[in-house]
Amino acid sequence: MDGCVRVGATDDDRLDRSRRIEWLDLDAIARARVLMVGAGALGNEVGKCLALSGFRHVTVVDMDHVVGSNLNRCLFFSTEDASARRPKAEVVAKGMRTLSPDMAVDPSVSRIEGVDDSIYKEHDVVLGCLDNIVARLHVNSRSYLAGRMYIDGGMEGLLGRVMVVRPPEGACIQCGMNRSHARVANLRFSCTGRDVVFHEPRLAAEITTTSIVSALMVREALKHVSGKDDMLLSNTLYYDGQRNASEEAEVPVNPDCPVHGRP
Amino acid sequence: MNVVLQVCESHLTPSCVQYPVVTLPFRIKVKNAETGAAVEMELEEENTIDEIIESAATFWSKDMGAYVLRKGKKVLRGGASLRDASIRTDDVLELIPDPEGG
Repeated sequence: MDGCVRVGATDDDRLDRSRRIEWLDLDAIARARVLMVGAGALGNEVGKCLALSGFRHVTVVDMDHVVGSNLNRCLFFSTEDASARRPKAEVVAKGMRTLSPDMAVDPSVSRIEGVDDSIYKEHDVVLGCLDNIVARLHVNSRSYLAGRMYIDGGMEGLLGRVMVVRPPEGACIQCGMNRSHARVANLRFSCTGRDVVFHEPRLAAEITTTSIVSALMVREALKHVSGKDDMLLSNTLYYDGQRNASEEAEVPVNPDCPVHGRP
Repeated sequence: MNVVLQVCESHLTPSCVQYPVVTLPFRIKVKNAETGAAVEMELEEENTIDEIIESAATFWSKDMGAYVLRKGKKVLRGGASLRDASIRTDDVLELIPDPEGG
């Protein structure tokens, strides 16, 4: 006898339909440690996808609190959270645990720049759900130095971008930046060098682009954790919801990039 | 273009073998990925990708934001000159926003 099968058992298994995707390694996914930086719009959707995909160990870092204008695109946020100015990291962590009670989600209410760099080596993959260039560059360089894959998402209105950084090979976020990025990054700093959020432009954002970009990010994480790096985005994907177009693009390594030049 | 050519011709003597490298202007087309519009630009090989991005963004009165320029599937490095980036006359480059929101 090969064992006992209970009728309807597959319908009780929350990951049964995932198990039918042959290349998904659900054991590896359950073991993997994911660092999610940013718990805003992308963070909400990425958190949702991570929770439903079977990830069980996630750290969420975000310094901000919920406000009413987040509510057009953030699954886990409520008007109560906005009224109470609850920390985004904690609200998202709680929401993820609601979707997947077996998850261990560790929220950290802090700026990523203030978090010890050892956090990168403690995780297997880093997901960037950030809203500014300076933080992106920080996470990009730390992930690269730690040898951890960094999957970065960005969006504005109906436009989106996902970039997969795969140290020690290929380009990183900084390789693809130019003077226009530097100008935007500088807007966030006063003459004293302190972060001044009121200079930050209010970018257009809505849920459909958020969902698409987030889903792509988590899918790349699933591939990586499942050992399917050959299926990864080779570099960058641009999405244009207005034209219903998405295209891969290649960001070449910048020989002057300080991230690649580090020992 | 005429000015450049005149300067070249005035130095076409055997004693000018050491004459500095002459860069002839050439034309490329830059497309606006958001609208489909296009503009022709006259450039020299020493111009940089950063300069093209700034000129195109200004021409189309684009909002302050991050943009990249690509040729085919390749995103061009900001600091690279047109020579470094192997841009040739009649090439078509595309200006695309690099969304930074999260």
